[in-house]
Amino acid sequence: MEAVGVKVEVVSKRFSHKVKGEVWAARDVTLDVRPGEFVTMLGPSGCGKTTTLRMIAGFERPDTGRVLIGGRDVTHQLASQRNIGFVFQNYALFPHLTIGENVAYGLRVRNLPDSEIASRVREVLALVGLAGYEQQFSNQLSGGEQQRVALARAIVIRPQVLLFDEPLSNLDAKLRVQMRHEIRELQRRLAITTVYVTHDQEEAMAVSDRIAVMNQGSIVQEGTADDLYYRPASAFVAQFIGRVNLLPARVESAAAAGGEVTVLGQRVAVACLPTGARAGDAVRLVLRPEALALRAAEGAPALPRGTVEGRMFLGEKVEYVVRCGEARLQVVSYNARPGELLAEGSAVAVELKGPDIPVLPEERP
Amino acid sequence: MASVAAPEGPARGLAWARQDPALSAAVLALWLLLGLFVVFPLAMLAARVFWDGGHFSVAGIGAILTDRHQVQAFWNSLLLATLVGLLGTFLGFVFAFTVARGGLPRWVVTAIDGAVLLPLISPPFTTAIAFVFSFGPRGLITYELLGIKGFTIYGMGSTLFSEALTYFPIAYLALRPILAAIDSNIEGMAMSLGASRWRVFRTVTMPLCIPGLANSFLLLFAASLADFATPLILAGNAFPVLPTQAFLQITGMFDLRGGAVLSLALLVPAMAVFVLQRYWVSQRFYVTVTGKGAGTAPFESVAPGVRWVLVAACVAVTVVIAYLYALLLYASLVMAFGANHALTLRHYGVIFTEGLKAIKDTLVIAGLSMPLGGLYGVLLGYLVARKAFPGRRTMEVTSMVNYALPGTIVGIAYLIAFNDPPIELAGTALVIIACYVFRYGPTGIRTTIALLQQIDRSLEEASESLGAASGTTFRRITLPLILPAFFAGLGVVFIRSMTAISATIFLVSINWTLITVKILENMTELSLGPAAAFSVLVIAIVFVVIGAISWGLRRMRAPGAEPVTSLLGG
Repeated sequence: MEAVGVKVEVVSKRFSHKVKGEVWAARDVTLDVRPGEFVTMLGPSGCGKTTTLRMIAGFERPDTGRVLIGGRDVTHQLASQRNIGFVFQNYALFPHLTIGENVAYGLRVRNLPDSEIASRVREVLALVGLAGYEQQFSNQLSGGEQQRVALARAIVIRPQVLLFDEPLSNLDAKLRVQMRHEIRELQRRLAITTVYVTHDQEEAMAVSDRIAVMNQGSIVQEGTADDLYYRPASAFVAQFIGRVNLLPARVESAAAAGGEVTVLGQRVAVACLPTGARAGDAVRLVLRPEALALRAAEGAPALPRGTVEGRMFLGEKVEYVVRCGEARLQVVSYNARPGELLAEGSAVAVELKGPDIPVLPEERP
Repeated sequence: MASVAAPEGPARGLAWARQDPALSAAVLALWLLLGLFVVFPLAMLAARVFWDGGHFSVAGIGAILTDRHQVQAFWNSLLLATLVGLLGTFLGFVFAFTVARGGLPRWVVTAIDGAVLLPLISPPFTTAIAFVFSFGPRGLITYELLGIKGFTIYGMGSTLFSEALTYFPIAYLALRPILAAIDSNIEGMAMSLGASRWRVFRTVTMPLCIPGLANSFLLLFAASLADFATPLILAGNAFPVLPTQAFLQITGMFDLRGGAVLSLALLVPAMAVFVLQRYWVSQRFYVTVTGKGAGTAPFESVAPGVRWVLVAACVAVTVVIAYLYALLLYASLVMAFGANHALTLRHYGVIFTEGLKAIKDTLVIAGLSMPLGGLYGVLLGYLVARKAFPGRRTMEVTSMVNYALPGTIVGIAYLIAFNDPPIELAGTALVIIACYVFRYGPTGIRTTIALLQQIDRSLEEASESLGAASGTTFRRITLPLILPAFFAGLGVVFIRSMTAISATIFLVSINWTLITVKILENMTELSLGPAAAFSVLVIAIVFVVIGAISWGLRRMRAPGAEPVTSLLGG
């Protein structure tokens, strides 16, 4: 089947909340998923990602805006008319039906001949690694197996679009990592346009072609995982994707491409400044823990001084907390050798690995 | 954010009706039925009371409410209901606590459950009849054993004890899951902090049970307030209560309006209790009853001495119940109880010849009410719990009205509404069936809603996402999952159709009569043998049908479905 695109056009949805009154579950959300693409909506709980997904599925109706699948306006279609595959957080396996019947359900609804149903069920169960499970009931399966059945049930109908609502959050950490690879693998093989919802940034980065970060009902930034990580458009995205030191700084000079800022009492060249930034403006630097390096204090007289306040040895890396004037910095150091570990209390110099450090404008509260 | 439990808010315009024609048809049909069999009769009742010669009038009310005898009946009703509520809740709590915390062997619990079930499934006045056999003028204990001549059992005391024995199982069933659901770790925690058993009970267990106790008090209060047959048999002239007064006003003095006024007086406390129970007590539960037990207490939560006292109390009450029912059976098998104790099957002969019509009529009516009531309960419960349509809340509340009202009010309202054109149903089986369906079907509604709340909406959404329309989803997914509620609804409607009297006594006719009415007639004519035989027959039939339903349910239940704990639970 030819892959189709999904378009969400300026969709809004309000709920009335007992305590908070009217809340925007989604506010002017616009999302364009290209045919065969895997897009994840990522955000904290309550950000509207699930509501948006459910509007794509047809479980919720938007107050305003349109949903298009394959160029067709499906805003007023029931979920049952949209030809979608939906994988629920709690799997939603029918407890009174066998695994085989669960998977066959959508095919039976489509009135396919029994022989074809049987062969397609067998095929898809084999595809998810559950060959021979037809006669089992869902309560006899482990969480991971139930997850696979839910996946099989969604893809066996050959949906135009595959939708996932936090599908891995009920699994343990190890299984979660394994399943996200399998989901990605399967999606590539079947080339189904996929919209995925999660609050786990690592999961989002692992599976997606593109990520839409949501906050308070709106999409705040869209891009590939490295886009979002290296070029966050806001403090929210910087803090939500990965760990970060947000340091106040001041613009010293602004040129066409980049400029110089002062941070921690030191002038640093940056490749890019916020648009319209002028000398003297207050800005914030997005310093990832691995963009900082610790040097011996004696050898680097020009660098800002700090004191190691805490140290966590994690094997392939060491995480330090360094007090540097007013700031407490998170620093990660890789490939440390046995003799190179810094003791708590030791004096260090902090090096900023520029110049591709993202700079954000000062946010007015 | 997304997990909105039930669709809220009005659907815009009539969009919902066009979207889902099956839904709109079902909603419309249910509203018509509710209008006809719930709203219309009550409106007619109110009209009869407040409408006099074409204008509004409260004269009728004034006349009755200034009558000292009737005012006395009103206060008597409240006093009796309060005492039954207290005594029944106490008994129910003792039973529930003993079973939940006493560490009793399995078979003892089963025996207690069985004995407690008896009053629940019998006609509500069975205990009263057995009381007469035991303590009446020719009673086994008063006359035969103690040799007292001319003992009067009639009055408040016997009515109170009879009602308490009849209704305490309701309290037991309401309190037992709460006690079982209290996490034993909470009590263990209190103990580990140095509290004694008594202190744990006083400061942890009891406070957690208080909403349950209040709830069961209100349930019993309402049951006693509505009880018509027990006072009719046991209260006598010295202790008039409202339901019997309303009945006598109509049948004895042919004063339909007076009866209507008296029944309306009953409405005030009944509605107050219903509102309190639904909107106040039910929101104050600390303990969530999930159907899963919280495990047995890891420590001896009851001191051995206390335990024996509790067990002894339960055994004593159980023995009294067993004794009363054995007496009933015995009375049905002797020539003339209290005079000639030669064994005979004569009374059964009588009920299967002279009483055969009543038996047939009752079975036909119960047999028809059962599926209709079960279907009504499941359908309305499903729509209310799962679908968005205008007036959803109103429909739910309306459906509960006939269930919450004392039977006397419903019976008189039906009598007034369906006696004359435009809708003349008096004397037909239909009026009795409708009464049962709309009075007892709501149990199925409640069970369905409760069950649906445990079934995640995502199951239905999954079905929709796989391409199934709403009808298919209901048939293939929802219905199989709420089958237990359907069967529980069937069971309750059947039991009540076999045993109820308070509403339908106003609706029986020469064409259609009921066993329970026959029993009452026999009691007033002092033909005790046939009354006892009829009672035994009803209990036997109910037992067989319940057994069949639970057997069927066990067989039909798919391995994954929720287990059904009790037919009468919920």
